Order: sequence, then structure tokens, then C-alpha cells
Amino acid sequence: MQFNINNSSGRPVYQQIMDQVKRDIALGRLIKDEKLPTVRELAQQLAINPNTIAKAYRQLEQEGIIVTRPGSGAFVANLDSNLSKSVKKKLLSEELERIAVDAYHMQIDRQILRQWFEKAVEKFNLAEEKEKTNE
Amino acid sequence: MNDNVINVENLVKYFDGRCVLDGINLKVPQGCIYGLLGRNGIGKTTLIRILLGLESPTRGHTSLLGIDSTNLPVEVRGRIGCVAEGHNLIQNYKVSRLIKLCKDLCVQWNNEFFEHLIETFRLPLDRRVKELSIGMRAQLNLALAMATEPELLILDDPTLGLDTVARRQFLELAIELIQQQKRTILFCSHILSDVERIADRIGILAAGKLVVDCRLEELKKRIKKLQVIFPNAAPENIYITEIINQQIRDREIVLTVANWNRQKQAILDTFKPSSCTEIPMSLEDIFIECTKPAQDVIQTAV
Amino acid sequence: MLNMLTLIKREIYDNIAYFVAAIILSMILIICIISAAYRSNSEEAPIFAIALSLPVIVILIIGFTSIGVSQMYIDKNKRISAFLLTLPVTRGRILTARIITGILAILTLFLPLIITTMILYRLLSPPVPVFEGMFFDIYTVTLLTALTSYCIGLQTGWMKGKVIPPLVGFIITFVFASIIIIKGLGPQAWLPLIIFIIASVIRSRRKFMKTSF
Repeated sequence: MQFNINNSSGRPVYQQIMDQVKRDIALGRLIKDEKLPTVRELAQQLAINPNTIAKAYRQLEQEGIIVTRPGSGAFVANLDSNLSKSVKKKLLSEELERIAVDAYHMQIDRQILRQWFEKAVEKFNLAEEKEKTNE
Repeated sequence: MNDNVINVENLVKYFDGRCVLDGINLKVPQGCIYGLLGRNGIGKTTLIRILLGLESPTRGHTSLLGIDSTNLPVEVRGRIGCVAEGHNLIQNYKVSRLIKLCKDLCVQWNNEFFEHLIETFRLPLDRRVKELSIGMRAQLNLALAMATEPELLILDDPTLGLDTVARRQFLELAIELIQQQKRTILFCSHILSDVERIADRIGILAAGKLVVDCRLEELKKRIKKLQVIFPNAAPENIYITEIINQQIRDREIVLTVANWNRQKQAILDTFKPSSCTEIPMSLEDIFIECTKPAQDVIQTAV
Repeated sequence: MLNMLTLIKREIYDNIAYFVAAIILSMILIICIISAAYRSNSEEAPIFAIALSLPVIVILIIGFTSIGVSQMYIDKNKRISAFLLTLPVTRGRILTARIITGILAILTLFLPLIITTMILYRLLSPPVPVFEGMFFDIYTVTLLTALTSYCIGLQTGWMKGKVIPPLVGFIITFVFASIIIIKGLGPQAWLPLIIFIIASVIRSRRKFMKTSF
């Protein structure tokens, strides 16, 4: 697991860690029941205070995103799709807003933007609608 | 018996009639990494020297591990490791002789760990201390301090002279140490990004007083920098208390405020700004704001 | 205990030059004593003894004062105690080790002399019993004077500057030595010396405990 910590951003480090764990889970880079690095390992790897990592893990556990098993460590929880959906929504909405802002400044209208969007989702073969199999 | 590993009470220190420390109160609990910040010459080194019993206070007292600093017995000194300012050590001794002296005098000595550090740092054993670069002296000093497996580590500018890689090695060592039971670290540094990485609590010394003494995240929460834009000219006076700094230009005010809360937000809103964005502040930004001259004391509670 | 031994060893090593000088001087004096002893029946003996003792005393005084001065001066200059105090030692122990080392240096010079004198005394049957008492007096006063010079050196080593401290040290020591000579070499000289030595040590200790390193 690679983390990117930005010390000069206003966002507290423990929240940055939480964000990145959530993001990785949402993007499928971390899967259900996968073991996260221990507080100790991560502290050494990033050279940051272990308390910060511990706090991030505690919060994540409170939010139900990870579970800690005493003696074994921290694992990605068995997420229900609603929770991951809200995370996904947040992540993508932020990206979309960024695109909208850029489009505004570049004076690109909605029509053209929609065209380019269709091209992009076409390129990656995004399904028109997700099959409602086991929700 | 309190749990505070370092205890400073009403410490006052005068040097030649000049007041260097003016009533310092500080408590560092066990298990904490405390980052003490301050500009050069502000008194950080003096504070550390008084803590270690190298210097006596004018008034007030300090204690380490529960024992008064002026009276530290051998057993307690053995539990404290320190890196003193400038990494002087004993200049004309050979490195090997210095190491043997420390080994013989120290109560606890983890030789395996020490050898590992010497190897990692690639320190030459047959040269005299004064022939080493300041970076190597720093590493030697650090290795000597850590080999004793101290409960309390007091470091005065430990990364002075260290290159980037060596600095990261130091941080990793500090983290490794703190993970062990009942360890505490107090360190001063000018490399604020390093302090930001590993410190739990921050203290900022300015004009003889500890103007900040709180947890790092709390500090970032309590001190906010806002960019406020007004539809017309910016008002001359925004009646918010604890403004650390403000810059007014045309329609914009950049405001740095301590202890930001809802009331202050409400006061700001009465001036009807068209936008109010928070500018993220790094520890370095906060430090620079807090140490600007003629600032009001921003006492943030423990 | 081991701690003290290490501290003493360190002091000795750092001041090894003085120990070497003490041994050399001791050897020289032994030779002089032996040759003086074998001439004791001639008329030259007293003159020889006096001619010898004056420069020796001067050397001793200068030498022992310098040991004291140099120990303290080097500490301040090379910040030795500043470093030692980051280790598990106390100020008291550092000072005690220092003084013990000074005393050892003095003994390094005197013990061989005393032993030689005693041996010679047994070998060459003395003419008058009074002689034995005289040697005892001489050695005691000289030893005390040596200790006094050393203590003066310890005190003045604190002072700032490279030239002034030793100079002041020598002056005070010579003043003291003159007082001794005027008062005579007998037991009456011991008391002021012993009092001075004790007062010096107490003062040194007090200062050492409070000084900043």
C-alpha cells in the first residue's frame, strides 16, 4: 500500500490516511478482508508519528470501513454496497465539479462537454446501467 | 506521582540582566513526542540546559522523570539520553575512545543496536571527533544517546548538519524508539516539516514565553487563515478578537485568527463578505505567524 | 564504583603528561638523594641539600599548581564536564575523580622518594635519631605544600583567561610557601596548611556544583 502524505495541506494527516484508504477500497485497490499494514509498519514507512496512524485506523474502524482483530491486525471490512456507494459518489462528484469549473473557465458549453464525456466512457467500456444482481 | 516525564514550573532565567525565559510552564506526559520550536537564540537551548541540570534557573524549577533537575542522581541520568546543541562531544578524543568512555559509564548499553547504527551511519572509529563533519558528529551523538535505550530522549537540534537521507534515518529511529513502552521524546528543530511528521504536541517559544503549547492537530484547527472577499471595499476594522495577522488589499482581507469559532464566523458574516475561503496552513506557516514580533500571547489550553 | 574508576582513568589519561613528569622528577630526586646519602659524612652534605631543595621546591610548587589549573581550565575549554553530565555521572563524582587524580599525581612523585628515604635510612645506620623525625617533618610539610599548591591551582583554574589563572596561582602559592618557610618546617606549619586545603576543597566543591557547563 502506498500512501501520499502532504504535510503542508491544511487537512490533518490522519484524515489524509483515512481518505486514501477509503479511496483505495472504492477503486478496488483494496479488497474485502485484505490486511492493512500495521500501525508500526506504516509509521516506519512514512516516518510519521504512530499515534497519527492509530487515530486514522480507530476512526476507520468506527466508520465501519475496517475491522481490527486483536493479535492479527487491521483488515478491510465486509462493506455493504451503500457505504461504498456514498464514498464513490463523493469522490466522483468532486472530480466532476472540478471538470465543470474548468469547462466554465474555458467557456465550453454543456453540449460539447457531454460529447466528450460520452467519448470517454465509450473508450473505457462503461456499462450503460449496472446489472442489479446481488444488492 | 504524576505521569509527566518533564515538568517545568514558572521557570525564569536571566542572563546578564536580560530575561531569556519569562515564566515558562510545561508538562510533557509519558509517551509523547514533543516538538519545541522557536527562532534562533530565543532560549530553547537554555531551557534544555536547565532541564538537564547544566544550567541553574533564576527562579522556578524543572524536573525530569519526577526528580528535580539540579539533583539528578546517576540512576535517573542513566535513563535519559540527550543530544546537546552543536554536537560538541569531546573534540580532541578519538571516536573509539569516546565510545569506550560512554560504554563504561553507561548503566544500560545495547551494543548490537549501537554497532548497527555506527554501520548504518558509516562512522569512522579511528578519527578524532573534531575531524568529523558536523553531520557525522550529529549521528555519533545520536547513536550514543540511543544506545543507552533511554526512557527520555532530549534532543537539541538533532538534525543540524544532517543531509536529507540522514534526516529521514533520524526520523525513523525516533519513531522506532517511541513505539517501545514508556518512551518520551522532547526535541527542538528548525526543520518544521520533520516536526510536523512526528510530533504529538508542539510548543512555540517566543519573547521568553511559551506562546503555544498544545497538540499539533489542535493547533491546526485553532489557527485559521482565511481569504475574505467583499463585494465593495474591505472594511477597515473587523471586530474579531485574537487576530494574529491581517492584510487588507482592495476588496480582500487575508486574516489569520486564533481560536476560530462560530461566534467569530458570525461576526465576520455581519460584514457580508462575498466569499470566505480557508487557506490551509502548514506548521511552518503557523510558526511564522506566531513568532512575528509584538504578537499577543495566544494561550491555547492543554 | 566502576563508574568512579572510569572517571579517574579518564582524568589520568588526559593528564598523563603530569604523571610522566612526576615519575621522571621522582627518579631524578631519588638519584640525588642516594648520592647525597653516600656523602652524608662529608661537609658538602648540608650545602648540597639546601642547594638541591630550593629549585626542587620551586618546581614542585609550579608543577602542582599547574596540574590543578590545567584540569579545570581544560574542562572549561574542551567542555568535558558538559559532555560527561549527559551520561550517568554526577558533578560530585566528576570533581572527586578529579581531585583523586591530582592526589595520585602528587603521590606518584612522593611515594618513591619516601620509600627510597626509608630504605636508605635503614641501610645506612643513621648517626642521630633526630634525623628520622626531621625527614618525617620535611616530607609532611612538602606533601602538604604540594596539596596546597594543587588546591590553589584548582581554584584559579576557574578564572577566565590563559595567562592570568596560572600566574595568580603561582603568586599565591609562593606567598604560602614563604609563610611556611618563615614559620619553620615543623608541625606548627601543618595546621594552617590543612585548614587551607580543607577550605579549598569545600569551596571548589560548592563552586563546581553551582557552575553552569
